[in-house]
Amino acid sequence: MQGTKPDKSEISEIEYSPYAEETQLARYIQHYPRSFTRNPSRPLIERPLTLSELTGPLELEQRFGVTAEDLAHLKPGAPRALGQYIEVTGRVTDEDGRPLAAAMVEIWQANAAGKYVHEMDRHEAPIDPNFIGEGRVVTDAEGVYKFRSIKPGAYPVTESDWWWRPPHIHFSIFGPSWMNRFITQIFFPGEPLNEMDLLLNAVQSPEGRDRLIFQTSPTVVGAVNYLVFRRDFVLRGKRRTPELH
Amino acid sequence: MPASPHRTSPYCTIGPFFPGAFVTGCEDLTTFQGRRAAGQHIILTGRVLEEGNRPILNAIVEIWQPDAHGVFRHPLDPCAEEADPGFYGWGRSRTDAEGRYSFRTVMPGVSDHAGNPRRPHVNLMILAIGLTRRLVTTVFFEQTDSAMRDPVLESVADPSARARMLARQQARENGAGAVPVYRYDVVTRGEDETPFFVD
Repeated sequence: MQGTKPDKSEISEIEYSPYAEETQLARYIQHYPRSFTRNPSRPLIERPLTLSELTGPLELEQRFGVTAEDLAHLKPGAPRALGQYIEVTGRVTDEDGRPLAAAMVEIWQANAAGKYVHEMDRHEAPIDPNFIGEGRVVTDAEGVYKFRSIKPGAYPVTESDWWWRPPHIHFSIFGPSWMNRFITQIFFPGEPLNEMDLLLNAVQSPEGRDRLIFQTSPTVVGAVNYLVFRRDFVLRGKRRTPELH
Repeated sequence: MPASPHRTSPYCTIGPFFPGAFVTGCEDLTTFQGRRAAGQHIILTGRVLEEGNRPILNAIVEIWQPDAHGVFRHPLDPCAEEADPGFYGWGRSRTDAEGRYSFRTVMPGVSDHAGNPRRPHVNLMILAIGLTRRLVTTVFFEQTDSAMRDPVLESVADPSARARMLARQQARENGAGAVPVYRYDVVTRGEDETPFFVD
């Protein structure tokens, strides 16, 4: 976003269409009661997009900085968090496949025992004093983010007598516009609990569910070996198709 | 039809465990990099309510707005170089057990771009358990440039729904010098439901 100043014509250059419903989770989910008490009952309203909606917070690291890239290692020499070491990486692009550089990515997850460092977490599992569990990283010029952590544990939904959340990592991504502010959860491949998770299975198509699941990549070999999980993200926004004459 | 490699990623709920450290300090938009924001400082506060006007605890509210002169800190704004160096424009708050959120910010100015003047407003979004996607709306200020037309406000046809997009100034309790307080409740579902936009 540095260098030449964009002219007015660039404002209309990127189009933001409403999300295609078949790519997304259902809004109403059986056995997930709050989806029925919190989603609007009236139809969503179409509005024009002006400069206000097409802009958004950039360079968020100026506001709150980035954290260490390892959520499972407080500082060099400190004991590491318990659990299986993982590296998580991927590319953030728009719908044309163009990389979204300098995008702030917020990550949070449970520890290896399935416990969050959060006052709302009432699950009787131990807190790991060496586990940070949250972090902020920024994508590079190719749109690539990367951090290290441990594989999170599964945990029970305390209001339910059967629902256990499969291991997953939460992502909050700031694209360059208010229209592509993005939040999701990404799951691990091959987990038996994936089959019954209400949220993961709220995406209708298997292909859509796959886009909520990490892919495994070759191990990073070094002083510590990390099993690598990869997940690319496609945020909304594509270049307007030129009119043919 | 084969799936395009560039289909948008699925959104998912924020869940109950969004880190508190990601909210701390984000409720005050009136300072940035050691500078104080120009313009009239205000408190924008209210409750986030679900069906039956029950409070939503632990919702995340985010806002994005122009500075007191209507300028966005973003290169798409032709006036971006004149953006207030003391104002960033983005904030985040988390609701308490009463559903209450609160921001300290500035009264946004009229933004006028490419023949699309906008009445002073704040973009607002809600994330919470039960919502698989964000809910987006726009906040206007009841007595601020109220005669001005606004294309987003006018896209809401029902006058009573439009009225639910107005933040209302509260009576000053702390004397004339106090920061004005504007109240804006968000009802995600129910009789007094806030209008939300296609997203």
